[in-house]
Amino acid sequence: MSTAKKSPYVLFQGSQNFRLRIVLATLSGKPIKIEKIRSADLNPGLKDYEISFLRLMEAVTNGAQIEISYTGTTVIYRPGIIIGGSHTHNCPPSKPVGYFVEPLLYLAPFSKKKFSIILRGITASHNDAGIEAIKWGLLPILEKFGVRECALHTLKRGSPPLGGGEVHLVVDTLISQPLTIHELERPHISAIKGVAYSTRVSPSLVNRMIDGAKKVLKGASCEVNITADVWRGENSGKSPGWGVTLIGETKKGWCYFAEEIGDPGAIPEEVGETVAYHLLEEISQSGAIGRTQLPLAITFMVIGKEDIGRLRISRDEVDERFVVLLRDIKKIFGTEAYLKEVDDGNSHDDDFIVTIKGNGFTNANKKIA
Amino acid sequence: LSASAIKRRRKWDIGKLIYMDNIEPKECISRWKGEDEEDDKDESDIEDEDSDFFTKKNGITAQGTDYTADLEKFVPYFEKLDTLAKKWSNFDAINDRFIGSPLKKVTQ
Repeated sequence: MSTAKKSPYVLFQGSQNFRLRIVLATLSGKPIKIEKIRSADLNPGLKDYEISFLRLMEAVTNGAQIEISYTGTTVIYRPGIIIGGSHTHNCPPSKPVGYFVEPLLYLAPFSKKKFSIILRGITASHNDAGIEAIKWGLLPILEKFGVRECALHTLKRGSPPLGGGEVHLVVDTLISQPLTIHELERPHISAIKGVAYSTRVSPSLVNRMIDGAKKVLKGASCEVNITADVWRGENSGKSPGWGVTLIGETKKGWCYFAEEIGDPGAIPEEVGETVAYHLLEEISQSGAIGRTQLPLAITFMVIGKEDIGRLRISRDEVDERFVVLLRDIKKIFGTEAYLKEVDDGNSHDDDFIVTIKGNGFTNANKKIA
Repeated sequence: LSASAIKRRRKWDIGKLIYMDNIEPKECISRWKGEDEEDDKDESDIEDEDSDFFTKKNGITAQGTDYTADLEKFVPYFEKLDTLAKKWSNFDAINDRFIGSPLKKVTQ
């Protein structure tokens, strides 16, 4: 506590939450220092994809300064102003495009110029956001906060390991601050939709995935609609691959989602089933939004107007990821979230309402204009 | 570490636990969950004296190893497929989440 005050930087340790910390620093304009990045590891320091991410941040901002120590275990990041513009980014084969798109979503609405960024590389993986997860899972969250014109176009798909995909992120809405949201209910799911895709494999795999997922979801009391999306020829990248994303849609605009990709030798029906079960699990564990959507939503609540935003979350969503998210936010913005128990006599009355007072952040570029 | 045994009986307020930087995220969650069965009502007893107590423990910040506390991994944790299959053999648990299913009446 006392050491952090004296340092000109907000101090962090370890490799976790790397992108979030850089993004929060950029939004707040505060320089940060991250120490001990994998310092006990066999390969210490930043990974190639993290360096690549820092390069991307340099490209979309003006005046950012990045200092990396010899061993790569310490980074000092002094953020610049978000300027956006048109860029092309070649992602390393170690991380899919989703890894890079995700943090851009936090910054794009507050840019000087519109974001139009082409990212090349792998478009799917087990651990990072896939194209559909961003398109159907994260962009709706942006929409709820007032960022209506944003899109992720799939120009080419590229399955791991060789990739060869290409996506185009376009964010046309430039706002000075996100809207304040008040979501005190668990929204009702009106439909389940999904996309099952394949690159360079037989289209029958796609149908088998759909069958697997539908078998699980047949008990759901709503419409289930899964689209087949088969990619052929030069737009389908360099490797064979396939996967499925399922989305639980609500009338209010919130949504829940789950996704998975198939490994070589995996059974398509099983992948379809897995994703369907994951969706059910995600729905059961979620309040107004899913676990993967929380960081984006909470961050936008923090940088919102000086007004109190409210969001219903479930008890299950209060996990370690939630704790580290709130701690990092407090460290950089000084904003604390309050958890209020719901207790309205309905089912799920052990939910919480997260209450956050926006810090009145204003897009620096908007102020001048 | 007899202190931890005493602490266990405490009723933890998660809202405060989250911001106690000297307690690891994992520990936060387990302390909070550990007290779950007794049902929580009063949370006033964790006040200043406790935070003093805990600052004596060396200020640890989680070091890299804990993957579950890392937002770099986008996809959250899920149980194994067969566990999930058993759990979701019917939709009773989440039926009220779908439109058109009978709703309990909203009071208030």
